[in-house]
Amino acid sequence: MSALEFDRVSFSYAGAAAPVLLDASFEVSEGAFALLVGATGSGKSTLLRLAKPEIAPAGRLDGAVRALGTDPRELDAPASARAVGYVFQNPDAQVVCDTVWHEMAFGLENLGVPEPQMRRRVAETCNFLGIEPWFRARTAELSGGQRQILALASALAMRPRLLLLDEPTSMLDPLTEKNFLSLLFRANRELGITVVVATHAPAAMVDYATCALVLEDGSVRPVPLAELATEAPLCAPGRDGAPAAEMRPHSARSSRQNDQKHAVFLQKVVEKARPMTGGTVTETEKDALLADDVWYRYDRAARWVLRELDLAVGEGEVRAVVGSNGCGKSTLLAALAGVARPARGRVRNALAASQALLPQAPKALLSCETVEGELMAWSRAGGYGRAEVADAIARLGLEDAAGRHPYDLSGGQQQLLALEKLLLVRPRLLLLDEPTKGLDRSERERVARRLAQVRDDGATVLLATHDQGFVRAVADRVSLMFDGGIAATEPADEFFASSWLW
Amino acid sequence: MAPARPTPLDSWHAAVPATLFAGTALLTMLAVQPALVGLSLGGALAFSLLARGVRATARGLAWQLPLLALVCVLNPFFSASGSTLLLKVGPRSVYAESLAYGATMGALLVATVLWFGGAATALTQDRLLALCSRRARALPLVASMASQLVPQMLGRAKTVRATVAACTAAGPRPGLRDELTRTSTMLLTWSLEDSVERADAMRARGWESGRPRTSYRLERLRGRDVAALAGVAGLLVICAACAWQLCASWRFYPTMGELGPWWAYVPWAALMALPCLGRVSPFGTPAPPAREASDERA
Repeated sequence: MSALEFDRVSFSYAGAAAPVLLDASFEVSEGAFALLVGATGSGKSTLLRLAKPEIAPAGRLDGAVRALGTDPRELDAPASARAVGYVFQNPDAQVVCDTVWHEMAFGLENLGVPEPQMRRRVAETCNFLGIEPWFRARTAELSGGQRQILALASALAMRPRLLLLDEPTSMLDPLTEKNFLSLLFRANRELGITVVVATHAPAAMVDYATCALVLEDGSVRPVPLAELATEAPLCAPGRDGAPAAEMRPHSARSSRQNDQKHAVFLQKVVEKARPMTGGTVTETEKDALLADDVWYRYDRAARWVLRELDLAVGEGEVRAVVGSNGCGKSTLLAALAGVARPARGRVRNALAASQALLPQAPKALLSCETVEGELMAWSRAGGYGRAEVADAIARLGLEDAAGRHPYDLSGGQQQLLALEKLLLVRPRLLLLDEPTKGLDRSERERVARRLAQVRDDGATVLLATHDQGFVRAVADRVSLMFDGGIAATEPADEFFASSWLW
Repeated sequence: MAPARPTPLDSWHAAVPATLFAGTALLTMLAVQPALVGLSLGGALAFSLLARGVRATARGLAWQLPLLALVCVLNPFFSASGSTLLLKVGPRSVYAESLAYGATMGALLVATVLWFGGAATALTQDRLLALCSRRARALPLVASMASQLVPQMLGRAKTVRATVAACTAAGPRPGLRDELTRTSTMLLTWSLEDSVERADAMRARGWESGRPRTSYRLERLRGRDVAALAGVAGLLVICAACAWQLCASWRFYPTMGELGPWWAYVPWAALMALPCLGRVSPFGTPAPPAREASDERA
């Protein structure tokens, strides 16, 4: 029996002219780990939601959808909740309760599961996913990765046979993503749960998947996993028009393929350690940003987030700061922007009067009722008018959406809109915090092209990111951040060529 | 991630500390008699030091002691009664009885605040909500969501303000009023947007499925909890009776009354000391077993 089956399914939203799905047919066999690949806005979420009637979109549906052999619309709410689990994209928005234990029990309480059985299921799920150490923690204190694991746990506690996940890792950093995926993989192989993951970045999941489907122009076709295993370099114009990105091939190595021979390994460790002992930065006249022995912590009782941090960014440079989650990248941007005052050390920012910061969540920047209003918001200070805004809207491809609320745009479009809003005031210093988080390939390329333009206009750019492909495409130099300080700074080519991990 | 902070009295079902603290605070507020108030203040202070630590207690006392002094000093100016004249300030006479009444009321206020503060450390929100009736379906959920979403909103407010401050290319920062309006509108829209997805997440997990809900209780009421509950309730009744007697024989004006027999204070003193005894053996949390080697990493 197939776990999920779509038979000539067409779907269009109420009031929409074009259908989202058009004669889509596919089958996912029981026990499979299937990837559903497609660009943002291609209809992946719509497709998944059609198999879950409680959250299915309103519109016209033709054809047959079958989950575990039956039309999910014929199941009552408890039966559907039991059979099909669903994990959403946003780690912040899908947690309901304030404690981990209550969140895990929430679904079981709704289904009226007797208490002894509920205790057993919660305990087993905790054991399986290793949640016990934070079982009594408050959900507000969890990291994004932990929240997403909690969402998985809450779905698994209901013991579904089919689990649908909508971009579950797009808001996570690569390490957290791998951790989440390995747990999902275990649920698939050890518990026999059929898994369907919708994603626009399948490369990280290929090792775990058994099959893949591509959703394009409303129809679904199978695709060999090997085709998804590597990501082609992002296309962005290099300095002086040279196709820089294409000259830097992506070293798509999985950890298994790493060269771990002793001599090579040791040599690389030594190379990496050298800049750490190398000492302080030297101040040059052309440095736009300079941080000298900066220490910062959020509270007197808290740990140091930045410690002994030295950094110099030249004027007109595109600098990427990479490093694991929680190593202090966002705090570094805040300190350089003058928003966080260091407890010790000094920050010199020659472009402080003309800077702009793109936060991780673009919603922190979007404050107007319409897309056009958003872009006009800073027109007085930026000295631009409706003509420039119309150009910007055309660049974003949002001519039809100029009068819509920014929240009605997709996450990627919101990010591009926020970036465009910043660029309209022509900042000389651009600070970007995870500018490609949750974006699909074409959107990442758009951001890269836009940054190349800004760079060619002479602006200085400092970006904190996990996105290696993006760093390869746009950055001149890369700084590796570790333990609150800068462990290494090298030209991008050199950095990737000598890197053991990236 | 660090394990959740251990709370006092957490080896007992939440109903036991809830009854103990509610009863103690209520009796403290009703018994206006200097010796009783003094004992209650002593108990509250000792529990606060044990449960919340010296630093947190000292931070609280930094405003509570001046409050006590203020009530004490101001009372003679509002109620110039009594028989023992201490001094005259202009046309007002300051009597010892009036000063004693002010001091008692100030101490009562501080003791009540301390008891509530102590109770909050013992009864975390999830323990309190677990005491709600099973039929109260929405209330615990709303309270639980609020306690999760309020910190999230405050964090977002900080991000929004920091972003505005960092974007110097967009001109000078707007005035405080404009910024507050703008920030609050943004946060509201942001939260509403999240709530759409949260509602879906709830429905996907069977919310409103039509089945009668059950509830997962972290704590179970056991025999020893019922016994402790009965003991606490009995002690509260005895204390109430003794306090009634002591208060009946006490007066502030025109002259202060008798303090009463010493034995009438014994149950009261025991009640006030009980939360502190609950922090130490044999009433408190038993010492954790020796950690296994494999736990050391955690």
